[in-house]
Amino acid sequence: MTQQLDLPDIQGNIIRAYGRFGFPKGRFFFLRIDDGKMGRDFVGTITKKVTTSVSWGPDGIIPKPKAAINIAFTYNGLKALGLPRASLVGFPQEFIMGMKERKEILGDNGPSDPIYWDKVWEKHEDVHVAIAINAQTPENGQPLEYVEEAYQWVKSQIDDSHGGVVLLPGHRGDDGQEDLPFQDASILYDDHGQPCAKEHFGYTDGIGDPVFEGQITDEYRVAGRGKLTREGGWARLGTGEFLLGHPDEAHEYPKAPAPILLSRNGTFMVYRKLHQNVAKFESLLDAHAKSFPGGKELLAAKLAGRWRDNGAPIVNTPDAASKEAWDQRFAAADPRTRDGMLADFRFDLMGGKCPIGAHIRRINPRGSLEFGQDGAYDTPGALDDRRRILRRGLPYGVVRDRGSDDGNHGVIFMALNTSIERQFEFVQQQWINYANDSKEGSDKDVLLGNHNAAAPSKMVIHADPKSGQPPYFVSEIPRLVETRGGDYFFIPSMTALRMIAMGKVDPT
Amino acid sequence: MANISGKAYALTVLSPIKKGCIGDTSYQISYADEVQSRLHGLRDCEDSPLAKVPQTYLARFFILDDVFYESTPGCDPFCNLLDILSIFQDRFRLLTLPREDHLKSRYLVFSSNFHGDLENYLRGMWSAISADIKNIWEHCVAFDKVQDAEGFITYIKRCQLTANLFFNGSTNDPLEDDSLEEQLKALYLKQQFAKFAVSHQGLEAAELQEAFRAFIDRVQPNQLAAPTWSPGQSIP
Amino acid sequence: MSNIAGKAYAMNVITPIRWYMAWINKLIFRLATRDSSSLRGLVTLSLIHYARWVIIDRWKFPHLDPSQPKEDLHYSYMLFFSNFNGSWDQYVDSFTFAIPSGLDLFWKKNVRYPKSVPLTPFHDYIRHNQIDTDHYYNAYPLASSNDVKSAKHLKRKLIAFEQGVRDAGPEEFLKKYHTLLVEVQYDLGDMQPAPIVSLAAQAVDARRLLDAQGRR
Repeated sequence: MTQQLDLPDIQGNIIRAYGRFGFPKGRFFFLRIDDGKMGRDFVGTITKKVTTSVSWGPDGIIPKPKAAINIAFTYNGLKALGLPRASLVGFPQEFIMGMKERKEILGDNGPSDPIYWDKVWEKHEDVHVAIAINAQTPENGQPLEYVEEAYQWVKSQIDDSHGGVVLLPGHRGDDGQEDLPFQDASILYDDHGQPCAKEHFGYTDGIGDPVFEGQITDEYRVAGRGKLTREGGWARLGTGEFLLGHPDEAHEYPKAPAPILLSRNGTFMVYRKLHQNVAKFESLLDAHAKSFPGGKELLAAKLAGRWRDNGAPIVNTPDAASKEAWDQRFAAADPRTRDGMLADFRFDLMGGKCPIGAHIRRINPRGSLEFGQDGAYDTPGALDDRRRILRRGLPYGVVRDRGSDDGNHGVIFMALNTSIERQFEFVQQQWINYANDSKEGSDKDVLLGNHNAAAPSKMVIHADPKSGQPPYFVSEIPRLVETRGGDYFFIPSMTALRMIAMGKVDPT
Repeated sequence: MANISGKAYALTVLSPIKKGCIGDTSYQISYADEVQSRLHGLRDCEDSPLAKVPQTYLARFFILDDVFYESTPGCDPFCNLLDILSIFQDRFRLLTLPREDHLKSRYLVFSSNFHGDLENYLRGMWSAISADIKNIWEHCVAFDKVQDAEGFITYIKRCQLTANLFFNGSTNDPLEDDSLEEQLKALYLKQQFAKFAVSHQGLEAAELQEAFRAFIDRVQPNQLAAPTWSPGQSIP
Repeated sequence: MSNIAGKAYAMNVITPIRWYMAWINKLIFRLATRDSSSLRGLVTLSLIHYARWVIIDRWKFPHLDPSQPKEDLHYSYMLFFSNFNGSWDQYVDSFTFAIPSGLDLFWKKNVRYPKSVPLTPFHDYIRHNQIDTDHYYNAYPLASSNDVKSAKHLKRKLIAFEQGVRDAGPEEFLKKYHTLLVEVQYDLGDMQPAPIVSLAAQAVDARRLLDAQGRR
């Protein structure tokens, strides 16, 4: 590792996916700044309690907090806080426009069109600040106790601003409410009440989260999560893919606004509320499971690239027999070996094991784009390494009825990267809603694609030529995920927060 | 021959445009700008005049106004003589700057990737769109002498440049380079068969066979003329 | 004026090259033409329909008439024409990350060529020397280079299959049909209009469609 990061300067949600660290609860809310001075004072007060990336626990700098608080801003928010134009012009175009204006690029049409979004996003120029609370649950007592504590504290700061900072209502709730003041999120619990890393379709999520230089994490986690080397191993990704002010995979500093102190150690966040049509998904599986050889769970595994029950990568478990063997090894393995079994793999060239259009293969091809032409590129992952995103979100809501699409449940998708356009937007547009790079034309991702009846998409589940079976086509795919809101935010460093609060950002 | 890869041909044409302008009381414009304006006015996709030119895969026009001055950062060459001499005398430092070049004429650049032989292509082009050709090339030097296909061929050859490297990324096997009709038919068949395969999945053998026969009757794989995609077709 | 026609982008780049160094590039191109393994990276990228490099010696600009002044240039020039799929950014990025050494070979000795890594100076160099296309025609705007190649493969297989089953009974037909599906399983991607990479280009295209609809 060649990089030593200034951890106290970096907001905690960049380095850590809180959900994996025992913070099962989340609450996200959005504010409008009506008075610049009040807004800056508010930022100053909040900054004193913002959670950084320092180490926790007995060997750490501070004890593990009960709740983590983090803060981010839209372009309009930075403007309202009085950032000078000379700094504002240095922000990337897509961030300035905001996510709503980019709907054509993202494919947010049909039921995902902004007209159907939660009301809080209606006047998008009013969304200025995002506050994220991620909290533990107490041993005894209310699960949301620590969330509420942190939330009430932030609320009292808002109240102290006497109208200078306004909490924006407009989030949909579980019982048809449309005007809630916040969006709650939570890890899902399995049938035994234990927290699990699943989302509402039943898949284990977030296994392949990237690992970068300087990030404090166990070295064994680099395998399968970093970038592929020509020698066949794994290395950490360049810090600058995820943190501004550090060299990225292109051997340069990512484009960032001036001055350096404003941007260094910060990053950009994509926040997207994604509703999941659980009933449509189960129906799709049931309809095809009748004719798909191997049954429903194998089909579900082929669509995603991982088995629903334990996240086994289908490339290593392409049928029931290999899955059973894998399960046995997994059950008997220690945590470190388990991690390797889940994360450290490469895709098969021909797709007979993991279909080329499977979800996890689309969003992170892991060297597949070299198409087996060893040495054609600089490294096997050369076309993939700059398209990675940090996943920091949580599911929201509970599915009360798996036979219904209605209801308030889905994923609060949060992606962190230094270039929204090159990383998140590219994957969304070129690899989820399109597939030319993997030579599958306009076929869309089954799970996240913006399917529409006018030009129905399909997925080819490739056959292994030796099996004697033909490929299987998954067609009549409904739109399984609908966008219900979101925007693009800038997560500043602690230094930048203090400077914003003092009104001292000046690139002269 | 460097212009050829398989059966694909890379035609690169630089036609000098007359100096001076069209000037009358209502309308003044240089010849080159007029050519450019006419190019901008051409319709696109299936409505482009090039859609009528047989065997054209991809082609473009642009006006080369001038060459660019390389006011871009210097790359540090190891052991550059001028660089070393500038340690001793500063006047050498400025000599390391790039020279400023200017073209004396503006050029109409036509680049076409097509299937087959050059002369046949140009004959086909003249036969299909001679009026458009005159509209585009009218203000080029010496074009007034072009009266017919043979004249056009001679003219183009005088303006032609040879490619030093022609990369054909449209085929995995250069010996099997397809004509435009074959490519368009292949694209049509791909689209139709993909739909067929998906919508007829799981049928019983006899039913599938009958449906397939009907499919073949409809799409006529060996008939290049129809049904097929038309050149420049932009709507699926 | 548009650099885009459906899924293809027309890039035109002109760069000066010291006339006494141009032979090096000509040699590199001649060797690359003979030895296709040097183009493996480009082939694997599969983003290009057709591309060409043309070196114009400084005294070889076409001169058709005494009335036309003869060019008097310090440098020779290298023209690069590409027809590729995806956005400008994706294309230039792909070149930089996948085949940086190949790029350096082709643009070697071009005046002020900054090498292909790091990325931004190379981006700037290409942009600086790029000329926009005034009219771009694509015979198959709905098809990427991958689509064209896979269509060819599928057509060949389909025709051979059809001929082979003309006299077959249903069971034999089904068996051979399944074999066909396996053979063309990578060729079945749908072809719909390209994703919108540029809102500016999309606006122009929307006007074109309206105009075309009005005329039909």
